[in-house]
Amino acid sequence: MTMLLAAPALLLIAVVFGWPMLRYAWLSFHADSVLTGLEPVANGGANWLRLVADQRFWLDAGQTARFALISVGLELLLAMAIALLLHQRWRGRGAVRALTLLPWALPTTMMALGWRWIFNTPYGPIEVLVRSLGLNSLDLLSTPSITWLVTVFADVWKTTPFITLILLAGLQSIPEDLYSAFRLEGGTPLQGLRRVTLPLLLPYILLSLLFRLAQAFGVFDLVQVLTGGGPAGSTESIALYAYLNGMRFLDFGYSATVMLAGFLLLTALILAGTLLLRSCGLLRPLDR
Amino acid sequence: MTLQLRAINKRFGKRQVLNQLCLDVANGECVALLGASGCGKSTALRLIAGLDHPDQGSIRINGAEMVDVPAERRRVGMVFQSYALFPHLNVWENLELGLRMRGGTAGARDERIRSVLEVLQLSGQARQRPSQLSGGQRQRVALARALLRDPLVYLLDEPMSNLDAQLREDLRPQLRRLMIGGEQPVVYVTHDQQEAMALADRIAVMREGCIEQIGTPRELYLQPASTYVAQFIGRPQMNLLRAKDGVITGIRPDDLRLDSAGSPCTILSREWFGANQMLLVRCDRGDLRLVCPGETEIEAEPRVSWPSASEHHFDAVSGRRLPSD
Amino acid sequence: MNLRRWLAGGALALVMALGALVGSASFRAEEVSILMPSSFTDASADLVKAFNREHRGRIHLKLIRGPLNTESISDLAISSLLLGDAPFDALLMDVTWLPKYAAAGWLEPLDPWFDPGDEEQLVQGARLGNNYDGHLYRWPLVADVGLLYWRTDLMDQPPTTPDALVNIAGQLVQSQAVANGFVWQGRQYEGLSCDFLEVLQGFGGDWMDTTTNTMELDTPAATAAAGWLNDLIRKGVSPYAVTNYAEAESLQAFKAGDAALMRNWPYAWAELQKDDSKVKGNVGIGLMVAQPGERPGATLGSWGLSLMRQSEHQKAAVEAIRYLTSESAQRARFLNNGYTPIQADLFNDPEMLKASPVLPDLLVALNHAVVRPPTPLYAQLSDVVQRELNGLFTDAESADEAMATSQQRSQTLLRAAGATP
Repeated sequence: MTMLLAAPALLLIAVVFGWPMLRYAWLSFHADSVLTGLEPVANGGANWLRLVADQRFWLDAGQTARFALISVGLELLLAMAIALLLHQRWRGRGAVRALTLLPWALPTTMMALGWRWIFNTPYGPIEVLVRSLGLNSLDLLSTPSITWLVTVFADVWKTTPFITLILLAGLQSIPEDLYSAFRLEGGTPLQGLRRVTLPLLLPYILLSLLFRLAQAFGVFDLVQVLTGGGPAGSTESIALYAYLNGMRFLDFGYSATVMLAGFLLLTALILAGTLLLRSCGLLRPLDR
Repeated sequence: MTLQLRAINKRFGKRQVLNQLCLDVANGECVALLGASGCGKSTALRLIAGLDHPDQGSIRINGAEMVDVPAERRRVGMVFQSYALFPHLNVWENLELGLRMRGGTAGARDERIRSVLEVLQLSGQARQRPSQLSGGQRQRVALARALLRDPLVYLLDEPMSNLDAQLREDLRPQLRRLMIGGEQPVVYVTHDQQEAMALADRIAVMREGCIEQIGTPRELYLQPASTYVAQFIGRPQMNLLRAKDGVITGIRPDDLRLDSAGSPCTILSREWFGANQMLLVRCDRGDLRLVCPGETEIEAEPRVSWPSASEHHFDAVSGRRLPSD
Repeated sequence: MNLRRWLAGGALALVMALGALVGSASFRAEEVSILMPSSFTDASADLVKAFNREHRGRIHLKLIRGPLNTESISDLAISSLLLGDAPFDALLMDVTWLPKYAAAGWLEPLDPWFDPGDEEQLVQGARLGNNYDGHLYRWPLVADVGLLYWRTDLMDQPPTTPDALVNIAGQLVQSQAVANGFVWQGRQYEGLSCDFLEVLQGFGGDWMDTTTNTMELDTPAATAAAGWLNDLIRKGVSPYAVTNYAEAESLQAFKAGDAALMRNWPYAWAELQKDDSKVKGNVGIGLMVAQPGERPGATLGSWGLSLMRQSEHQKAAVEAIRYLTSESAQRARFLNNGYTPIQADLFNDPEMLKASPVLPDLLVALNHAVVRPPTPLYAQLSDVVQRELNGLFTDAESADEAMATSQQRSQTLLRAAGATP
């Protein structure tokens, strides 16, 4: 009976997720490019062998992981601070709550275009400001060691509100009585943050972590618009590389391979993270 | 006098929640704060605990002024209506948390927790999470935590209102054995007059931020200071007759009797409880509740009367009790 | 098991069913649609009206207004072509797409409809980049080549050699006559490949030999070309910011009077003559510099119309293509929108010359046009070069390294794609 009730949902997942996955898997063992007249021709594991030796893919994988881990980490810290602030009662809180959400409501491409203009050298406002202070040009978008931080910054700016929202919902689900009880037990409010708030918020933290990691690992539009993967490929993500292979180079076999490999890496990353958390005993609140 | 509240004022926004509240609770005494929701009884408790700060007034425990002492240093043991157990900790950890924060050796801690679990018959549940416990068990864990606090005052905030009637009756003796009648003053907040009468040495009936009347259950039952108190204490409720010449007359349902020489009435409804029964009858003075022994035969058109000595008189405007002559 | 075919089959059946319905109802004009970037549809509105008036009842031409950005319209076209039955009969194509699209089998050869006589009328630069594998697949709409813009108020003659450019621009910067010497396109994108190709040609190098599929990126000429570009930045002849410049940013800087020299396309000329331009009337057009004895190069841009293999209205579509590329259409587009014509004799036309004094300079540049490697794998190869060059500029690599890596990566790509044994 349960299976019967779940069947429509499972079917939907199978159609929108499973089928494309299977198709990618199948395609990754074929050459399907302009050179084969866009007809799939089985080529054994040639795509996968190429992937293993493809320095650019591994570079992109590293860059993608770096981007995802650091942005999500920063977002989490920032969102926690903002959520705690917004959870307090103060005048004008409602308006600020609404304002905080604005960046999230903005389409990514629009936001990225905006930042691209703001950070551009030499006419962007930041650059104008820096030079009016008599400092050297920052070249934020054309310095490989810095530009990736700009993409992190843009992502943090955009998606911190999303995590804030989840954490705020979590904070509101914690009964006030627990804090009262904790204080009467002799704990200070600061200790309460560590011993009551954090453990009870953990499921929400993990949820947003999982969700955002998956999203950040698949980053595409932000990078595509803000930097196009440059300078010198230093901000190229796996998704962007897969897109280039498919839509620009018309090499669908390899594009599918890159996409699938990215998915496998993400799964591995999340699995490793879960195991790590479990070994630290951090996942207990979820095991009810 | 070990707990003293003097002229406490508290307002939330525009609402005056407590208005010049004064209260004394002696060592080992249990005072119940009784009243409808919103009368300020829970706020009074939170002020005593230090969870809220009064606008004016003084709170003393054993003579020491407490108003500016933060909650974590006040040494009060509180039991919440929601129990407020930490859902991410098991029973043992819930009890250990406070002890740990307050210091002491691990050995002493374990010993105390073990013995309190024993007393409350929770030894088997030590490793369970609150979500795995029954309502009664959670309630007992909350009691255990308050006991381990070594408090100067016990504060009980509707501790049994989430339990069914049977469990409440079972828990009352435990409460009495463990908390009430010991060294400490106990403040017990409830909206259930029966519970208040069963447990409290004195009852303070609260209304709109003030104590309407405070006294022993007996005093409140026999000499209610107002129609409000009269209706709050005693079940079924006191009958209040229509005002006549500026005076409201009240008669307890138990003081009414069937009397062939009394006023004629019609029966509106009848509830039979076994040992006794309650009739709702209509007579020329209004509708009356009447309690009589269960086996009494009831005629179709009974007549009722009451001894005038059992009448209570209240001012029709203020609701205040009028002195009996 | 082929999704495209399935979808194509379904769509075809649907179209046929609809066609039967429509056909039985009345004689309808043949509907021809062409997908173009919005700038071209906007510039062609009057021509389309005229065409439809002349062909009333026979052909109805509709232009599909695509995105302005070259890459965006490529994505749109490719997406619809992959789905099997594209909703357009012809497509306005960038020169670099042609080998890829032709190899993918999406294009119909135009040889039956155009003869050598037609081709002889074209200016030299417009004859390039239209063929693949011995067939004509594209008929040019506008000519487009890379140009060197120079400030007539800052110098008497534009530099013609790399050294001269460095000297002139360097001195102007040093004497603080102008903020920047030479602005170009150093961002990691296709524009960088175009700039590089011009310099490469000027240093006597070549990108690849497409007949043998041999890469020539690690030759001394290629390394020298890359090194020269890098030195422009290192020596302050070009601002470091060019490493993130596309055409728009270069134009912005030059138009604001902040640069002495600019590499850009012909469209920039009209922009620089507008009233908000600080250099209006002080701009000349020349060719990219070349080492003494080498032939300067001007990278061929250019857009042209291609016929879709799956079009059901090929004859009508060709008629529309001919109309849109006719002499009068070229004239109108040049006079109204500043698009460079493709027909040689128009460059000597008095009416045209009156409208633009730089037409002869454009003709010179068009005669020096060089094409980017006409291979279906060009996008990959260009991507490698963009990445390595941008890395050279921003990451302090050496030109030797960058070009050696470019060479090696390009060859790996060719091998992986099966293009070389």
